[in-house]
Amino acid sequence: MSRVNYNRRKFLRIGAAGAAGAIVLKGSAAAVSDMQDNNIATRILGRTNIKIPVISFGVMRADSPALCRAAWENGIRLFDTANVYQNGNNESMLGNLFKDLPRDSFMIETKVKPSGVGQNGLPTSQTTTDDFLTKFKTSLSRLKLDYVDFLLVHDVSTPEMLNHKPLIAALSRLKKEKKTRFVGFSTHNNMAGVIRAASESGFWDVILTSYNFRLPNISEMNEAVEKAASAGIGIIAMKTLAGGAFLDKEKTKPVNTTAAIKWALSNPNIHTTIPGMTTFDHLTSNLAILKDPVLNENEKKDLITMAAEPGMYCIGCNQCLETCRLRLPVPDLMRAYMYAYGYSNGRMAYDLLGSLGTGAAPCVNCNSCTVKCTNNFNVKEKISDVSRLVNMPSEFIA
Amino acid sequence: MPSAFAQPYSFPELRGYKTESRYPVYTAESLWDFIDGAADGYLAFGFENVHVREYRKGKKVIKAEIYRHKDKNNAFGIYASERSPSFRYLNLGSQGYTTEDGSLNFFKDRYYVKLRTYSEDQKIINDLEKLAVRIADMLPGDPSIPSLLSEFPEIGKVRYSEMFINKDVLGHGFLEGAFSARYELEGASFVIYLFEKSGTEKATECVSAYLQKTGMEPDESQEGKYMLRDGYNGTIFLSWKGNRIVIIEGLAKDQSALAERYASEILR
Repeated sequence: MSRVNYNRRKFLRIGAAGAAGAIVLKGSAAAVSDMQDNNIATRILGRTNIKIPVISFGVMRADSPALCRAAWENGIRLFDTANVYQNGNNESMLGNLFKDLPRDSFMIETKVKPSGVGQNGLPTSQTTTDDFLTKFKTSLSRLKLDYVDFLLVHDVSTPEMLNHKPLIAALSRLKKEKKTRFVGFSTHNNMAGVIRAASESGFWDVILTSYNFRLPNISEMNEAVEKAASAGIGIIAMKTLAGGAFLDKEKTKPVNTTAAIKWALSNPNIHTTIPGMTTFDHLTSNLAILKDPVLNENEKKDLITMAAEPGMYCIGCNQCLETCRLRLPVPDLMRAYMYAYGYSNGRMAYDLLGSLGTGAAPCVNCNSCTVKCTNNFNVKEKISDVSRLVNMPSEFIA
Repeated sequence: MPSAFAQPYSFPELRGYKTESRYPVYTAESLWDFIDGAADGYLAFGFENVHVREYRKGKKVIKAEIYRHKDKNNAFGIYASERSPSFRYLNLGSQGYTTEDGSLNFFKDRYYVKLRTYSEDQKIINDLEKLAVRIADMLPGDPSIPSLLSEFPEIGKVRYSEMFINKDVLGHGFLEGAFSARYELEGASFVIYLFEKSGTEKATECVSAYLQKTGMEPDESQEGKYMLRDGYNGTIFLSWKGNRIVIIEGLAKDQSALAERYASEILR
């Protein structure tokens, strides 16, 4: 590095170029309506009848109000947050940002997680109307709004939650009082099941669901999503990057994020997506999708490559069972692997291996593995890794 | 292989309560199963694992969660991202607070600890506080706050506004690892970001990247000062000296004297 004489202590130099790259420079509300008409891809969000840009903003990790403002000025309209994000600071940040902007120029979606929901996803006696209303009141106060556009029950994984009367009562009351325009729920477990159930109820306006190119049960999901969309429910996709910006634990294989989002939008029943954005570069990249949401050939190739990467965990399809010449309980062994390496729960893995009775080296008498894994796992390697646990003294196992 | 297994904590006992450990130890790969979409925020702060215990006395429950992060700065970062100046602050661990809805959160060294009860029974709330003290005593590490926080001038600083931002400061991927604090002074409201890089070269690389992003020539000096116009972030005052960089956001162009005063004090 060359050294430059330090001679500018007394002066502040002025750099005047915008840092926003392809993003339009700071403008006014008038500029926003221009953008709306400027070839932005939109879809109708189900029975809400809202014409919504196909890219919305998952604000969860964005702590820069300037970034949210830039998104708004460039035509993004829906901002997704939640009562629990940053313990409420995420909602407060949006509240401070939007308090002086025309209320009809943006839409806020927040999520409230009911209390008392068990690990099995079922409501309990603690899942009450009052609890939900109190939490939402706090959200509204942080957002500095009279109403939100979408109020979602956060993290629904069972049809029982959708039918839980205290929650229905809370949502109905808030809708009647015009504290929310529309109601819905978010789901990232048992999505197809709860989406199907919601389609039949007639109550829900929108669903925020995990939806990405690596979902193992994509046919089932597509059928559920189609059924919901046909029933007039607006479908918003989240986790479109399949869990992160990289495909592998070592972070050597980046996801083509544009291709991943466009893949989700290739389903016409997906009405908008809420990618998380933390930099102006992310925003610029996603704004380009607003102009051109169709997959090109290179993006299609990247998707094929990405989809072929093995995931970390067994999806339990059981198709391997017939292909193992030793007839090992491969899905169970993969579950032990998940307990050990995914949940760091050695005890659960150890107990499961003990009950399977497969020993410390199940594959030792097999020279070449014949197992065909639909997830492209190196099954032999994973079985070998986890099975060694059997030889550890029980008192060492957490 | 044992590295895959997080060592369990011996959670302290609480007289009169039964403890339950039906939760697995969640790691970066499985945190979504525990806290849903909030997981991304934790992962951004070097989250490693979380141990969970429930203490039950009849129907009353206290839930304790111990999050382990990469280091002290990151534990402070996630802690600070969830706090508000309006909470009641406690001298617990490195720092903690309670909220009106039955939560008590604190951090110590690389650990962020969250306790929660839905009970409004004062005895249960007292027990929760007792448990918090025991967990704080149990956890290893240095209870002092990150040292760089003491470099922020006190005058005008909004109490409990300090943050640590691991990545994407001001929406820029090249700005990483800043402490920040909000100031309100002389009718102005602004935020100071302080970076401490591993060396002078790293600092000048970072400065040059910012200058280039705003359409200027890179500057490889070991110290300097600029006023930048940074798109949606508005006017930015950028100063650096050695391995430290100060960025001030929120002041107008004609408030350079105020920016100069604070930057000079930090980089003295």
